[in-house]
Amino acid sequence: MSERPSAASLRAQPLGQRAAQWSERGPSGPAPKAPRAGSASALAALTRTEARLLSRDWAAMVFAFVFPPLTLLVLAGSFGTEPDEGFGNELPDDFYITGYIGIPLAALAFIGLPVLLASYRERDVLRRFTAFGVATRTVVTAQALVTALLVVLAAGTVLAVAAPTYGVPSVDDPLAVGAAFGLGSLTMIVLGVALGLSLKTARGAQAIGLMAFFPMFLLSGGGPPPEVMTDAMRRIADVLPLTHAVAGIRDPWLGSGPVGGHLAVLGIWLVVGLAIVGWQVRRR
Amino acid sequence: MPATTLQPQPAPGPPASPPSHPGRPAVEVAGLVKSYGRTAAPVLDGLSFTVPQGEIFGLLGANGAGKTTAVEIVQGLRPHDRGDVRVLGLDPVADRSRLRHLVGSQLQSSALPDRLKVGEALRLFARLAGDVVDWKQLSDEWSLGHLERRAFGALSGGERQRLFLALALVNQPRLVFLDELTQGLDVGARRETWALIERVREAGSTVVLVTHFMDEAERLCDRVAVLHQGRITAAGRPTDLIASLGGPVHLRFSLPEAGTGVLDDIDQVPGVAGVTVDGRRVDIAAGAASTVAVTAELARRGLAPDDFTVVRPSLEDVFVALTQEDSS
Repeated sequence: MSERPSAASLRAQPLGQRAAQWSERGPSGPAPKAPRAGSASALAALTRTEARLLSRDWAAMVFAFVFPPLTLLVLAGSFGTEPDEGFGNELPDDFYITGYIGIPLAALAFIGLPVLLASYRERDVLRRFTAFGVATRTVVTAQALVTALLVVLAAGTVLAVAAPTYGVPSVDDPLAVGAAFGLGSLTMIVLGVALGLSLKTARGAQAIGLMAFFPMFLLSGGGPPPEVMTDAMRRIADVLPLTHAVAGIRDPWLGSGPVGGHLAVLGIWLVVGLAIVGWQVRRR
Repeated sequence: MPATTLQPQPAPGPPASPPSHPGRPAVEVAGLVKSYGRTAAPVLDGLSFTVPQGEIFGLLGANGAGKTTAVEIVQGLRPHDRGDVRVLGLDPVADRSRLRHLVGSQLQSSALPDRLKVGEALRLFARLAGDVVDWKQLSDEWSLGHLERRAFGALSGGERQRLFLALALVNQPRLVFLDELTQGLDVGARRETWALIERVREAGSTVVLVTHFMDEAERLCDRVAVLHQGRITAAGRPTDLIASLGGPVHLRFSLPEAGTGVLDDIDQVPGVAGVTVDGRRVDIAAGAASTVAVTAELARRGLAPDDFTVVRPSLEDVFVALTQEDSS
């Protein structure tokens, strides 16, 4: 029984010699033991590649790393630095700085991720991976992992820009902040995956993603303070997942409210997102 | 042994021997049926063919004939309604994990992300294949070394196909599926790609080439099968198919002057099927074996036209004859 040549023995060999080895093995010989990369190794390789690809996506990078800090600088400087009723008696700059930690999360989950996923589907990249034995869920997981990493980096960027300008307030309840940031990220990323899997073209994903992002960004704490919004706007904001990701980080950070309600709404959205993802995966 | 069959090959029945049985064909397809939607006419309607190991096998058919559907089913990428499929003696769906490292694939419509660089693509897929080949080595072998830092989106058609071929071989497959590999390539790039495909066979792999280019199939394939209306209408070696189905050889030339009677009774030469004279232009249709006899007879009659041409039938003629016959 001929053995498959080892990786090392194949390095630095011209094709002719390899051909000879193949002939020895014989085209009809028994199937050799699988030398494939394990699924963890495949996921690691894919994640590295996806990180490189996403870092070359200028639109996603600008929305994740440039747009939130710039908007934050403008807004935090617009409403003064005294406690304000319109901001629930918080300092307006503290209100925005802590709230804006959640904004890049929405940009990456709703603008970066769905376009990436839909373009893979549109151009049959997923089928190429499938033909190569890499399941679609592995590709999606790699993209979600890269998005999660960027979410952390982008949140750090917001704080890094805020620290020397308006200053970062001290954290009242770090555990609750961490829980809201973690669950908020997971929920938004799952919703982004659901969006990407539901749309057939990258252009469609971009259009729907931008359309979902901007109103949500304005209503959920990235734009005007909730107290100046109409009742209707506030009611819409109350059901949006980003509202609860943003407030879930801000309220325990500033000690201005409990986190439980926010986590509960995020949990419901997570279930909705997972149901859509599951449905889309089964449809294939 | 008749290498040419006009009828679809008989179904070999469900394989009873153990997987990867030595000497088995690389691919066995029997009675494959596939419809898209319940009411639609079947795309594949009892498709049967066999691919011997170590050969370049051409699956030919017009656009939309179902070639891609057939090879995607054979690769386990698409479900089928009925029929048996065996790849290297294994079931493409149930034994998928075993086949993954035995089969390489170039899919017709599948691209790569535009921003992915050539070197990154080779490294990624080599890694996914378990690093059984050195991707740098592979890159040099397929003349991709100077393109390693170039993004996929910036590659020319020929460069993309070269990359796809290299990626299809990154797991050292025993069987490679190449679906319309030369579509959209210019003449130079096509010929370059043909040479690469022959290298794949020389390296010991069986190649299933899906194409609608008859010249490509005639030039490259050891054996071809013509897919038409969901079935194989003819299969065999290109030369045998041409001999049996391609029609006569045509000898064409001009006479020095019209109406001299120099061609009288030329149709009495054994093998001549017909003589057409249009002014000074002459077209003699004859069996391939009679070409020399007819030519000698022309010389004996003092004819030595300098525009004398022998037009042999090609695989394209076979294809047209088969597909038009069935359509009418």
